[in-house]
Amino acid sequence: MSETWFLAALWLGLALVATLLSIWLRIATALSEIVVGTVAQLAIGALIGGAALGTDQSWVRFLSGTGAIVLTFLAGAELDPIVFREKWRAAAGIGLVSFLAPFLGCTALAYYGLHWDRQASWLAGVAMSTTSVAVVYAVMLEFGLNTTIFGKTVLAACFITDLGTVLALGMLFAPFTFRTGIFVGASVLVFAVLPFITPRFFRRYGDRPSELEAKYLLLILFGMGGLAAWADSEAVLPAYLTGMVLAGTVGKDHVLIRRLRTLTFGLLTPFYFIRAGSFVSVPALIAAPGVLFLLLAGKMATKFAVHPVAKYFGQSQREGMYTTLLMSTGLTFGSIAALFGLSHHLIDTRQYSLLVAAVILSAVVPTLIANAFYLPRHLLRAPVKTETTAAVAATDSSEGAQT
Amino acid sequence: MIKKILAGYDGSEPAKKAFEFALDMAAKYGAAFTVLSVVRPPEPPEAVEMEAILEQATEHYQQLFADLKVAADAAQVPMKCEVRVGHPAEQIIHYANEIGADVIVLGHRGRSMIAKWLLGSISRRVVSYAKSTVIITR
Repeated sequence: MSETWFLAALWLGLALVATLLSIWLRIATALSEIVVGTVAQLAIGALIGGAALGTDQSWVRFLSGTGAIVLTFLAGAELDPIVFREKWRAAAGIGLVSFLAPFLGCTALAYYGLHWDRQASWLAGVAMSTTSVAVVYAVMLEFGLNTTIFGKTVLAACFITDLGTVLALGMLFAPFTFRTGIFVGASVLVFAVLPFITPRFFRRYGDRPSELEAKYLLLILFGMGGLAAWADSEAVLPAYLTGMVLAGTVGKDHVLIRRLRTLTFGLLTPFYFIRAGSFVSVPALIAAPGVLFLLLAGKMATKFAVHPVAKYFGQSQREGMYTTLLMSTGLTFGSIAALFGLSHHLIDTRQYSLLVAAVILSAVVPTLIANAFYLPRHLLRAPVKTETTAAVAATDSSEGAQT
Repeated sequence: MIKKILAGYDGSEPAKKAFEFALDMAAKYGAAFTVLSVVRPPEPPEAVEMEAILEQATEHYQQLFADLKVAADAAQVPMKCEVRVGHPAEQIIHYANEIGADVIVLGHRGRSMIAKWLLGSISRRVVSYAKSTVIITR
């Protein structure tokens, strides 16, 4: 047993390092955890041996899988169901374009351009099709568009895009046997009754120190995840849908969501993202930088299908470019798709490494380009060149000024 | 001439100095006084974490504002507090334009070259782009 505790301590130590890095560099914790996982595997693997991290131990896989499931559930629960009901047509239109263009484009790129096999190409399309709701939400907040119809519609569209990703992930590689039928039937039934049963159940028995709500939700997530895995589908699919159908009830319970976040970020997601990072082969990346660039360019280029839609909804050329570039990001679902592909032997380690690296770069590069060249300049005026400001600026640059 | 003063505030010691300076100015000029704090999402913002950061930071600033309110009440200066999300420099400039601030007061914060490279110099950006007069306190 001591070996397990020491291994757990090592993982939490890595998680702590990743968190500190994310604080110092102000980057997303998921990003730093993937990078720390890659570096740790490289360093520890070279010093002690490839199995030292224990990435294939059953309890590590369980915590990692639970992290992906609960994180996906929480992401789905962030949906605003009222806006979604009001604007579902427009949201579905934008969301489908945002999903289909990179999905089909990157699949074609992988199949025809990189000569990957059919399964690997589809998986590449799925991994590159995602959009980060959080990035778009941040942009909307910066623009002050989060309260406008346009902002809410685009945000709702992002959920459709990610729904497309998890649906494709869950159904594209399923064998479509009687098990698939049972899974789909049970899902429809569960998702139909959950929004009615859950709030009533919570009202009757919830809000106690025994954390009934968390147990109930984990029961649903594990149960549906088990059913999905039994049908050779992916557990994050029912998790995301569960989050979406409960967004109007559980999603509004901030105290419960916070408790779930503590569990998720404190224990579960570090195992998921560090494990995902540990499978990345740095030599594979060094050997094929061109492929990496192609995948990234493919994702960014195909996401430009969103640009006319953004302009149609009233954004200027520059703002439309800013939004389009930021819709090219997507770390969580992209890495989930890639890890699904690796664990189901749809892709090999080399392809996995390239996809994860492209997903990471797709989370960073469009943001850097958007901030450097397409910053919402309407917030900024032309620099005021007066003697006074120039003098202050000169002082600042020499000594470093920050608020 | 000085009717509206905006102070950027992040809870740091330099920001506290800037607040005190701005509060003193507001009292002397009888100007409307606003304190702005900006929550900066991580790069790139990620699902769930972003919402958590926004909630936590907003609550954090609301608590800080309670302390500032005591000081403003003591100085008999009506004060408005606001939390925005985004890049601090952009949001400060944008908000200053929005309310028509005559003066923006910011604290000087000596950071390492690496931190400056990663985060950018906020006060330098504000000084460069703001329409209003900018005061950097030390």
